[in-house]
Amino acid sequence: MRVETMKRQIDLHAWVGIVSGLALFVAFFAGAINMFHHELHHWQEPYQAEAEHGDANMQALLDTVIARNADAGNWMFLIPGDEPAAIWREMVDGEAVWHTEHASDFNDAGEAVERPHSELAGFINELHFRLGIPVVGLYLMGVISVLYGAALIGGLVIHWPKLKKEFFALKHQGNLRRYWKNLHNLVGVISFPFHLIFAVTGAAMGCFALITLTMGALVFGPQFQGAATDAMEAWPTPQASGNSATMAPVDQYLATAREQLPEMEVGWIELQQYGDENGVVDVGGSVAGNVAHHAHVVMRADNAELLTVSAPGARPFNHFLLSPVYSLHFGDYGGLFVRVLYFVLGLLGCLLFVSGNIMWSERRTDRQGPSRAAAIMLRLTLGVTFGVMTGIALSFMANKLAMYSPWPHTTVVAEKAAFVATLLVAVLCAFRFPPLSTARVWLPLCAVLYVLVPVLQGSIEGFASWADPDRLLVNGSLLAVAASLFLVDRLRARRLRQAGPHPLWEGTVHQVSARPADAESVL
Amino acid sequence: MRALLGTLLGLPLAVMLCGLLAAVVPADWHDWLVLMMLLCLVFWAALIVLAGVASSHWRAGLTLLVANGLAWLLLQTTTLYGGA
Repeated sequence: MRVETMKRQIDLHAWVGIVSGLALFVAFFAGAINMFHHELHHWQEPYQAEAEHGDANMQALLDTVIARNADAGNWMFLIPGDEPAAIWREMVDGEAVWHTEHASDFNDAGEAVERPHSELAGFINELHFRLGIPVVGLYLMGVISVLYGAALIGGLVIHWPKLKKEFFALKHQGNLRRYWKNLHNLVGVISFPFHLIFAVTGAAMGCFALITLTMGALVFGPQFQGAATDAMEAWPTPQASGNSATMAPVDQYLATAREQLPEMEVGWIELQQYGDENGVVDVGGSVAGNVAHHAHVVMRADNAELLTVSAPGARPFNHFLLSPVYSLHFGDYGGLFVRVLYFVLGLLGCLLFVSGNIMWSERRTDRQGPSRAAAIMLRLTLGVTFGVMTGIALSFMANKLAMYSPWPHTTVVAEKAAFVATLLVAVLCAFRFPPLSTARVWLPLCAVLYVLVPVLQGSIEGFASWADPDRLLVNGSLLAVAASLFLVDRLRARRLRQAGPHPLWEGTVHQVSARPADAESVL
Repeated sequence: MRALLGTLLGLPLAVMLCGLLAAVVPADWHDWLVLMMLLCLVFWAALIVLAGVASSHWRAGLTLLVANGLAWLLLQTTTLYGGA
């Protein structure tokens, strides 16, 4: 490849990385914790040594929710488990509003019971897929995923000729900056397939709506929206006839699903136009042993008569391609091992984005002298990175402190307020103090906070609660985050000891001094 | 700047290229619609990379504009629009 072309590829890789790096850091860090989303749902609730299963069941929950909200059956998901949940849509002034209700939200008479609840797991998930930004956040992350894909393609072009050499390049070579560059390249090369999966599947989930809109406008016409929906759903969305009908019991839906797919583990029951003679029920779940493990048994809602089955080995090509888009992204196809692997690779991804931004800032200063853009980028990177990590840890703490305080109903507000306030403070600190001081204080602080979260949880709920498998997994993942932060802090201290701080890290923007032009390049 | 041009002008071009592919492939596009949308994302990312290696901003922008125009003209020769 010509030198000039290679240089432009490197510039493109750096710029696209800079534009998308911080958003990807938030998505990857929250995503790594979100690998234990199901367990986090249990962690966020007050601990009960003996789970109260009671006589709560999905039928009772369904009847109660429908009795309280007549339109809830238009579109509802029932989630089975120890504590069944109903997630249903309400249309308010043309806007869809989703509600979640659990069996324990109601007493035996079907009356709502006031009890504190948490949205910690949902908040972490929102940070992951839309940076916590309502509506446009999802599309923004979709476009960022496409840019991420472009950076990966560029990275592959750059590194392909020296791929073999870079596996063995993690050594100092007399220069600590070279070590960080090598570490960035090594992590990038090793986890390339994982990142490619995330770029494609993340872009698909974020951008399919945008692609559908554009394809409809430019290629296929406005009817394309309907065609895309039909291609992706197990059964076309039913329209209400206006004639009410008696519905079959939930157990009958499950029996039909078991009869058709005995090996399927039911994950949800989707109800559409429930109560209408055109009502349709989709019992969805997972068939173990397949990467594309999603399966659906669709039936009529009134008599549970089978309409169609979509399962591994027996489904249209569109479903065959769509199922792995989700399973490869969520890592839910290979049990705990794959989820832990995704967790580790997610944290390594965070290291990749932060190190990329830092190296870009240092290289710009080295090559062009004092640079306000480089100083701002470095400080913004440190502020957002430390703010997000500390903010999430404090959200976890706020959950337990608020839940067991005299004001347990403030839990949801406390979780989000803790995150937002911490993020703001971290960004302000990053711009107020020299980056060297920021890193020296905030990195060990983050690590200590992630140790303190399980300790706080244990001291409030009893250390016996650590034996609970869900709490064990969540606490273990938080301690793993703490351990990796201590390791990064150790590497930072070693770099400082052996190579001295880069001038960019030492003072204010105006005090930055020029570096020799022959300093290390980022890539 | 080149990456920005690639991002903005690459999306419609990627979509129209997929449309042309649907017109050429002798199979009903409804049957491989998800693949077409995934390909569209890959094309989009690839176009951002290609725009990024152009020798100048204006050349990247002009090439993408001309390619968009050509793809649109070619699409008019197909019966895809309104056939969903």
